[in-house]
Amino acid sequence: MGFTSQDDLIAQITNNGKYGTTICQKTLPAAGTAGAWTDLGNAAGIPVAATYGAADLTFTSTDDTWSEGALYNGGNVDPATKHFLSAGASCVAAAGAPWFIMAVDDVGYVKLSGTNVSTTGTKTVTMTALGAGARYPNGEGLRMYMSALGALGANAPTCIVNYLDTAGNAGATTTFTSTASATSGSLINTGAAANKYNPFLPLAAGDTGVSDIVSVVWSGTAHASGTVILHLVKPLWTIPVPATGLYNKVDFVNALPSFPKIPDGANIRFIMFQTGATTTGGTVFVDYDWAYGG
Amino acid sequence: MSGFRNIKQYTDATTDGKTWTTQFRKAVGSAATITSSYIDYSYFAGSPPANFYASTPLESAEIDLARGIYVPQVDTQYLQNIMVMTNAASATSTTNQRQDLTLVDYLMYYPFFDSDAVGEDQDTSNTITLPRYNSGQVICIAQSASSAIGQFTFTYTNQDGVSGKVSPVIFTQIVAGGGQSANAEISGGGFHPYLPLAVGDSSVKSIERVNFTVAGGGLMALVIVHPLKTFHVAQECRRTTSGNLESYGSAASVDSVIHTAGAPEIKQGARLGIIAKGNGGSLASSTLIGTLTTVWS
Repeated sequence: MGFTSQDDLIAQITNNGKYGTTICQKTLPAAGTAGAWTDLGNAAGIPVAATYGAADLTFTSTDDTWSEGALYNGGNVDPATKHFLSAGASCVAAAGAPWFIMAVDDVGYVKLSGTNVSTTGTKTVTMTALGAGARYPNGEGLRMYMSALGALGANAPTCIVNYLDTAGNAGATTTFTSTASATSGSLINTGAAANKYNPFLPLAAGDTGVSDIVSVVWSGTAHASGTVILHLVKPLWTIPVPATGLYNKVDFVNALPSFPKIPDGANIRFIMFQTGATTTGGTVFVDYDWAYGG
Repeated sequence: MSGFRNIKQYTDATTDGKTWTTQFRKAVGSAATITSSYIDYSYFAGSPPANFYASTPLESAEIDLARGIYVPQVDTQYLQNIMVMTNAASATSTTNQRQDLTLVDYLMYYPFFDSDAVGEDQDTSNTITLPRYNSGQVICIAQSASSAIGQFTFTYTNQDGVSGKVSPVIFTQIVAGGGQSANAEISGGGFHPYLPLAVGDSSVKSIERVNFTVAGGGLMALVIVHPLKTFHVAQECRRTTSGNLESYGSAASVDSVIHTAGAPEIKQGARLGIIAKGNGGSLASSTLIGTLTTVWS
């Protein structure tokens, strides 16, 4: 698995063809919020905009064959393992710079809509806990964030997500304050205010991942309307983009940790931090190279 | 067990999920800052929220945990990477380029020393002691605009627990607003982030009093910090809006182990923030954004 040496890496690429490049391009459906993060999953482009069509409060697993669109990364290679070699990103928008683009492996999501958003209280989630055979065994390294699918209604309730940690013990995120009238794609747990967390929901002290999402608890004054998506993801890497039109490239071969792994089935997607309010119609381009050996 | 014994353990921590990436954004206020002097980014709005050192005057205190850059509350945590960019105040502004930045753990502070109280003993009340580390460096942060170049000394307990130590005479500087370093090594220049100590002393456990001999016309806090990592961001991020449209900008990304020996420890309970020296000019209305990644064993 992996590469035994730099010579092996070169041989796997140049002699064995175990190499590829993937590109992603997205057009923002709505203006972003200054100082907040945006999920690019429901933005049009490559892959196509996801609609998150599952039933409410049911965890839906996703992978690279997800029917709503996923980037192709060369398919499964087990018993070999696939790794990032480099990645680059650029953004073009009249406003919003500088940006951070973060790649995540989207393990799955929970949709909440209708009264699951417009009323407070505990919203119980149905999910089969991730076990030893999961893409990230027992949910190790997984993080959560919540995004708006379409424009969110007024009011900003507080929210806690209850979960099971990697050992199956109960845990709860830190309470965050949601975002009133968030624009489509905005991560409602992020922003420049008290009780905002950028970009992931803090886990209980010492927890290293999430194996099961148990419930979402809204308090205070509920959102007037809207749909939100609770994402369960594995963070992979981050690229800084200083200004519109600039392309930035990051090398993972000579980094530490090096060669971030792309597990078989990875559904690689992107979230974006914007310093200012990124303009509607702004475009994001990401490419990454990968190789596998073993 | 504490720390990492080798590279494998260090990288395995990431695979095992013992890592956290957090992101911050601080927008400097509109008051002009002094070229090559320091500012305290924690003082300004953004995420985390602003820290104005607003508590009981002259009484030792910790800043709120929520006003530091968020990291998990775990033991044996280390800085793996910090990455920053600085956004210009306007399409043509270049004065926020070339910043020297230092990530610090804010240990304890004493707010609201009056730099006009010439001849008075401004005695502190040490209601808490240093929560982390044996001792630290002292920064002097303006809590208001100031109108004159004052002079003061402060009396402290040094790293060995010896009380009654007196600093050399320190000059203040005229600043346009809070959040800026209030001290200069000499009148009108020679900026340094940390206050000078008596000969032979390396750091400070607590502060006992401040004495002004020349009025400075403002308010200031003394803050004991533990420096963790110093780095540099070279160019401001901006896009011109007239003539030939051009984009400028760069990011600074510093990896522990690769770019520097070892990895700085972030102690449980750390209040993290950044102080910065703006070498290109005023940092007014510029924005610092960044990500910070930690690992723990």
